Amino acid sequence: MTQDNFLDQDTVFSKTNETPGIRAKIIGVGGAGLSLVDGLRLDNFQSVEQLAVDVDSRALSECIASEKLAIGRRHTRGMGTGGDFALARKAAEEEKDSIRKKLDGMDVVFLLAGLGGGTGGGAVSVIARLAREAGALVFAFCPLPFSWEKGRHAQAEDCMTELRKFANAVVPLPNDSLLQIGGADATALECFAEAGRNVSKGISAICSLIFRKGMIDVDFVHLRKAFYRRAGRTLFGYGEGEGEDAIRHALRELMLCPMLHLPEVSKAADALLILITGGTGMGMSALQQAALEIREEFKAGDHVVFGAHVDENMGNRVQIIVLGATDLEAGVKADVAPVADQVIMAKPKSKQSHASKLKSKPIADSTTKGSKKTRTGKKDQVDQNTFEFMEEQNQRGIFDDLSSRNLYEGEDLDVPAYLRRGVKIAV
Amino acid sequence: MSKIIGAVEIGTSQAKALVGEVGEDGSLNVVGMASRPNEGMRKGEIVDFRKAAAAVHAALEEAEKMSGTTVDSVYLAQTGAHLDGQMLRGSAFVASSDNRVAVDDLQRAESEAKRRQPETGRSYVHHVRTPIVLDEKVVEDPVGLIGKKIDVGYWSIDGDDQAIRSALHVISNYSLEVDDLILSSIASATMVAGPDLRRAGSLVIDLGAGVTDLVLYHQGYVAYTGVIPVGGDHVTGDLSMGLRILEPYAEKLKIEHGKASPDPSDDEEDVWIIGNKTIGDRSVSRKAISDVIHVRVVELFEIIRKELGSLLDANELKGGILLTGGGSQMPGIEQVAGKVLGLPVRKAGFPPGIEPELAQPENATVLGLLHYGLQDHSLPGQKKDQEQTGFLEKLAHTFGIG
Ligand SMILES: Nc1ncnc2c1ncn2[C@@H]1O[C@H](COP(=O)(O)OP(=O)(O)OP(=O)(O)O)[C@@H](O)[C@H]1O
Ligand SMILES: Nc1nc2c(ncn2[C@@H]2O[C@H](COP(=O)(O)OP(=O)(O)O)[C@@H](O)[C@H]2O)c(=O)[nH]1
Ligand SMILES: [Mg+2]
Ligand SMILES: [Mg+2]
Repeated sequence: MTQDNFLDQDTVFSKTNETPGIRAKIIGVGGAGLSLVDGLRLDNFQSVEQLAVDVDSRALSECIASEKLAIGRRHTRGMGTGGDFALARKAAEEEKDSIRKKLDGMDVVFLLAGLGGGTGGGAVSVIARLAREAGALVFAFCPLPFSWEKGRHAQAEDCMTELRKFANAVVPLPNDSLLQIGGADATALECFAEAGRNVSKGISAICSLIFRKGMIDVDFVHLRKAFYRRAGRTLFGYGEGEGEDAIRHALRELMLCPMLHLPEVSKAADALLILITGGTGMGMSALQQAALEIREEFKAGDHVVFGAHVDENMGNRVQIIVLGATDLEAGVKADVAPVADQVIMAKPKSKQSHASKLKSKPIADSTTKGSKKTRTGKKDQVDQNTFEFMEEQNQRGIFDDLSSRNLYEGEDLDVPAYLRRGVKIAV
Repeated sequence: MSKIIGAVEIGTSQAKALVGEVGEDGSLNVVGMASRPNEGMRKGEIVDFRKAAAAVHAALEEAEKMSGTTVDSVYLAQTGAHLDGQMLRGSAFVASSDNRVAVDDLQRAESEAKRRQPETGRSYVHHVRTPIVLDEKVVEDPVGLIGKKIDVGYWSIDGDDQAIRSALHVISNYSLEVDDLILSSIASATMVAGPDLRRAGSLVIDLGAGVTDLVLYHQGYVAYTGVIPVGGDHVTGDLSMGLRILEPYAEKLKIEHGKASPDPSDDEEDVWIIGNKTIGDRSVSRKAISDVIHVRVVELFEIIRKELGSLLDANELKGGILLTGGGSQMPGIEQVAGKVLGLPVRKAGFPPGIEPELAQPENATVLGLLHYGLQDHSLPGQKKDQEQTGFLEKLAHTFGIG
């Protein structure tokens, strides 16, 4: 079910206060995960616990998380894994019982881990699995290696696949793209910090939904239902606006959010969470309109969770956060040449000609790609034609098909060149 | 009596169909031509059969209507990263006691060269003949000459059966036959690089929407072909992501304002995305547009440079490097290409006699198909079509057509 009636709900203006009983924990795993935990700004949610997990005991000792768990000491005596994710996976398995204890009673678990790292990539899927087993809803935010970290991509991809088996939503944070979010002169570290703040926004949004009472409320059951299936691709974005037309501005900024314009990011969402936070002046009809537009933009299916919160500190500002997920397992339709198609099914092995690095690749099985579910929403009569045209084109997305990578010298040529080369584009 | 022939390129952005009339004197006259947007394709390969077929059929229908006639068969262009080329060589000792070369000797050399079969699941799409060598000397036609040993070579392109089959089905579903499969790059080069340029040695680069097709000629013969799965769609996709706009707007911006290199003169100037300055419209800087494009095209030519390696030799490429295909219309692209490849690069033109409205770089492939198809590529003494017919019959059989 959904909040089908969310637009008709009675307006309940209430002061924020915490919903008791629900427990959440943020877990940083490995170097990148720990540094994300250190950068979190979650002052409003004191009750959310933070745990750092690492093989590297020095990194662990420097982290500000309140709880810490060292794993793999037997194997490395507190040194890092040296990028060996199999080792980290094993270490986490061996430490299962202590990890379970840390997960006991959790309703929501946020995992932060760099999938290109040994510890982050290896241990995170084990923790995700244990968290699911413990009954928690699992959201993961995962930095992915820069294009130039060539040795780490295959591993990161493996770890992502593994993690997606257990997490309810995995938000990829490709480091190439994080470079784009800082200003023109921002250093990599500043960009990482900015990315950390964005992750905070995402986590805060989910926490707000479950811990606070709002203007339009979501309870935990809704959230659980929406993200119940394990997720494929996700989308995560935010926007902020100020002044008279704050919601409009926030919407506009949301649509331009760099995190929504990445190759890995889905353009549609089967499950979509929308949280709008604003000052006391936030109008109900503008809210409803915004929710409608967002829903339409992401072609959201049945599972929409919409929450609106009033926060006096926001003044005349409005913030919108969206988090969505598509279920990769659903809605894939076969699309093959209709005649005599069973004649040859053998997949050729790739082979090489002279010194070419362009391997002739087997054609990705056409049954596994393309044909996304087409959803139709209500459309504005006036702009119907343009809209339909845009929607059609939108779905054609040149980089949409992630089932086959266009690899050349270890880089995916379908990923925008400016991202891979770290060239900043000023929008 | 004149003869009607057809040509089809199932291009990633546009399906293009052409109807030509061959006069009794062998002259070719284009009597019908049409293009239709093709949404069924990515990077030169069919991903949505119905959409690709619909585009091709609509283009064929329109071209036929324009010509006032119908075609029975077409030459079909082939591209896609699944294609793979290599040189196949064969030789034969001259059989007769007086050492005079006979047609039969040539054919034995040919069969030996083509003996090698592609891997399971792959088929040959195109064998391109390279020079005939008689006792280590290149000869036009050895039949009747005296010598001991004949060497022939074929630059042979094989491809994935599934991809080839889809393309053939698009044509057979319109109840047409395929006269021949011709590599897109070779078709384009036939149109924009005349015999003199090919003899002098030249490289033709067709910048399409989904792929970039390459063909390199040494001394008049194909020495290398390649398909790089990067094209104008990547430029558009990069712009869409980099400027955070929908792809149709990105495509429009690219065509109206795109440049291959940032131009200092339009420094801080902005352009409107939609152009009507309504709500929802916004402006972006020209610099942002050309920055995005520049990185992509530089990378593309770097890949070409790496792929060609030592083939990129100024002494062997006196005919120069020519750009064609829709993407070659990007201002400044030849300078970027020249810089990366380290050799002079120019935009290709069309030979006189092609009507101006047809003589557009996007049409190089489809026009070239007809011209290439009309030429005789068989071995001396062999009937034209003899080899191709057998080869296509085999393909058709493999794929359950005809
Ligand atoms: N003025 C222009 N500037 C830049 N690019 C252009 C221009 N005009 C057309 N293009 C691009 O050229 C491409 C279309 O070229 P073309 O028709 O040769 O490709 P195609 O044959 O459909 O594709 P392919 O050969 O890759 O299958 C599109 O990507 C289009 O954006
Ligand atoms: N976004 C982000 N990525 C990081 C950070 N630190 C390291 N990484 C990336 O994470 C990967 C290395 O993982 P790391 O966490 O250091 O290794 P681990 O400790 O073995 O898990 C590389 O791909 C880095 O680019 C960080 O602070 N932020
Ligand atoms: Mg580490
Ligand atoms: Mg083309």
